[in-house]
Amino acid sequence: MNGSMDPDTEYSATVWKHFHTPSNAGEFLAGTAGVLNGEAGARQHGRAVAFQLQVTADGQVADCRYRVYGCPVTIALCSLTSEALKGQPLTAAAAYSVVSLAEQLGLPAEKHAAAITVEDAIRSAAGRYNSHVQPLAAATEFTYRA
Amino acid sequence: MNMAIYLDHNATTPLDPRVLDAMLPWLQGVHGNPSSIHRPGREARAALDRARMQVAALVNAQPAQVIFTSGGTEADNLALKGVCSGKPRGRILVSAIEHAAVLGPVEDLIRQGWQVQRLPVDHECRLDFNALQKMLGDDVRLVSLMLANNETGVIQDVKAVADCAKRHGALLHTDAIQAAGKLPVDFVALGANLMSLSAHKLGGPRGVGALIVDRRVDLAPQITGGGQEHGLRGGTENLAGIIGFGKAAELARLELDVRNRHLRALRNNLEAGLQSMSGISIFAEQVERLPNTVQLGVAGFDGEMVVMELDKRGIAASSGSACHSGSGQPSHVLLAMGVDEAYARSAVRISFGMSNSMDDVQTLLAALMTIASKRSGALALA
Amino acid sequence: MNQKTIYLDYAATTPVDPRVAEKMSGCLTCEGMFANPASAHGPGRAARGAVEQARNQVAALVGAEPGEIIFTSGATESDNLAIKGVAHFYKHKGRHLVTSRIEHKAVLDTCKQLERDGFEVTWLKPDADGLIQPPMVEQVLRPDTVLVSIMHVNNEIGTINDIAAIGRITRKHGVFFHVDAAQSAGKLPIDLKTLFVDLMSFSGHKLYGPKGIGALYVRRQPRVQLDPLIHGGGHEHGLRSGTLATHQIVGMGEAFSLARQELTKEAPHLRALREKLWQALHTAVPQAMLNGHPTERVCGILNVAFPGIEGESLLFACGALAVSSGSACTSADRQPSFVLRALGRDDQLAGSSIRFSVGRFTTSAEVEAAARIVSEEYRRLLDLAPVG
Repeated sequence: MNGSMDPDTEYSATVWKHFHTPSNAGEFLAGTAGVLNGEAGARQHGRAVAFQLQVTADGQVADCRYRVYGCPVTIALCSLTSEALKGQPLTAAAAYSVVSLAEQLGLPAEKHAAAITVEDAIRSAAGRYNSHVQPLAAATEFTYRA
Repeated sequence: MNMAIYLDHNATTPLDPRVLDAMLPWLQGVHGNPSSIHRPGREARAALDRARMQVAALVNAQPAQVIFTSGGTEADNLALKGVCSGKPRGRILVSAIEHAAVLGPVEDLIRQGWQVQRLPVDHECRLDFNALQKMLGDDVRLVSLMLANNETGVIQDVKAVADCAKRHGALLHTDAIQAAGKLPVDFVALGANLMSLSAHKLGGPRGVGALIVDRRVDLAPQITGGGQEHGLRGGTENLAGIIGFGKAAELARLELDVRNRHLRALRNNLEAGLQSMSGISIFAEQVERLPNTVQLGVAGFDGEMVVMELDKRGIAASSGSACHSGSGQPSHVLLAMGVDEAYARSAVRISFGMSNSMDDVQTLLAALMTIASKRSGALALA
Repeated sequence: MNQKTIYLDYAATTPVDPRVAEKMSGCLTCEGMFANPASAHGPGRAARGAVEQARNQVAALVGAEPGEIIFTSGATESDNLAIKGVAHFYKHKGRHLVTSRIEHKAVLDTCKQLERDGFEVTWLKPDADGLIQPPMVEQVLRPDTVLVSIMHVNNEIGTINDIAAIGRITRKHGVFFHVDAAQSAGKLPIDLKTLFVDLMSFSGHKLYGPKGIGALYVRRQPRVQLDPLIHGGGHEHGLRSGTLATHQIVGMGEAFSLARQELTKEAPHLRALREKLWQALHTAVPQAMLNGHPTERVCGILNVAFPGIEGESLLFACGALAVSSGSACTSADRQPSFVLRALGRDDQLAGSSIRFSVGRFTTSAEVEAAARIVSEEYRRLLDLAPVG
């Protein structure tokens, strides 16, 4: 629903699409293997992001989920980023520049803070890689028990 | 139509039907507040911005230099008080022929402790340049000189005055309210720092004007609250009015030559006809004037009476600035030109517009002839 | 695919009533009416007549004498003129002003400007319901207090201040009382013959008139004097110079005249629509909280806080609705509403509040649709948010 907020003059159609129908929102079921949790921001500051990366044994991001409290740009950036990270090595994901994405989308400088929060949440998740998470087995390896 | 011939266009002009067409949609249906972020608000904002560009284009200014006001009077007030109010007091130089809308704020600044000196004009209503140069000094903060006078129509060399003012570190304000739409007006070329405009003098609606201001000027807002117009003029914008102003400005820009020629032809026709009438002369006849303006002196007559007689014959004219009608005061402009009081009282101003024709000129001449022939009658001055 | 906007932002601005537009068009096209009302000739006289009739219409709605009504370019100018005009004229008597923290920006910025010019201002904090209680005013009056300015109805939360009681206090203390009635004229009965109000600001475009026109009531008995804001030709008894916009004035007059005829029917109708909206919202979203006093509110305004989601997102998610978060003049600013903050709402709750305002052309169907859209989008955003 595009409605009357006339987005065209402010943000791009892409941003609005990802705001109104964000991809990969939500969270993995509890107990799902290979999930790294990260968070950044705080509600009282207007923006809070909880990002989940599902990582394979060989360090690839298989899937993402997120929950977000924040402005339309924050929501859209989470959605766009979640699509971009899939299939990336975790190291690349950790270095992914949401700020560059924001610039490419033509977002004003004031909105870069939203991008930074999303980055922080991803890096917070990535930073937990070597702790007690059970990595997801690589997609090609399935262990069948006879 | 209850008024057969309207010859008072310097007081106000009829609304151009094309301007009305541009305005009407904004008086119908739902339109937002331009400060609102929703669609109706954004649409209103976009229309406002377009109008701003149109007004800027008329005077070769940048849209960001256009501050919309509720009219020319408010623009003059904002210019003078915005520059001076609350600042360390100094001197202001104001021409002796300015409109009440400039003289009013000047009086207020005098009450606040500013020193104001009148720049004299010669008998042809032209600024005395030597006097200006003598009066300028380091403590002069602002010079105000109108581009074209509303009564005599005389056009000033604002550029020369601006150059002079700048050399002494003073700002220049010019009231271009009568000039815009009748002559090419170029904010940049004039070198002014502030310039006042009014919509209803160029076929636009009443209740809206603009101050064109070089944004480097430190201008204190006079109407605060809401942050509109870059914080320089608060209050929800007169949307329909501003859109009308924009349209009027655009038409004025596109049709300037046509208008100039038409008006000038009418004026020449009138002046030729007046040559043969004894006892009637034209103030500042020989100098460059607005193409539509003729201020006449009718010897032995009271100008107000002549206007009333013309009114009876279905002709609307004026005996000087509309603001002073009925005040019984002779025109300060004519007095500044050295015209004696009795003769100044005989002044009648004719200001043509696009709705006038050569027939109107002939009708006017005939009426003046009739009225003047009553020289020894009740209309004569005592 | 854009749906038609559901306009629920009457407090920001109203559409021009077609009957008002017709009167205005008549002025803009009629040959005799375009003339300058100050001119001596026939057309000038006709214009003057129309202006005086409009003045009578404005005066009649509020129980004033026509001679006490000055036309201005809007309520912002009226507020500026009233406050600065009185402060400067009477500064020899004192330099203390009293106002509230939740006045319209036109009053706040004007008082701030006066503070910079050496006046002292006491800024009253409203109670938790958003009201300025009369004893709050009485407590801060001093011998050098010259003016109190308190709005009749708050534009954000719609709360109604008891200007009758406040007026009794200011009159008792010999202090002038200015009231910004931009949101109340035509929606609440106002009788300046019985109110001890000395100055009152009115807006054209909040009452189905055009933008760019307003008025200021300046009491004559006992006389209030002002330093004018706009000097020049001496119009409006020297209080407000500048060529009058006949069509604007006629428009405002007609709007006020219609309001006078329709007030008794319209106010309950708007209240019913507003209550319907609130009930529907509150039922679908039990967490939603009302901002401002539950009953002391003007008929059309409803300000609701939606906890747990971010405000800008809710606003844009409900893109089919034209509503407001914060007052229109500062919407683009994206600061949490200072009015809601003054009520004690934290930044997030203030930021996630929406002001709905219904008006003359609002339909029941629109209200139902709005409630549905808001509750759906609220739930979607709540589901999207991190838990806890």
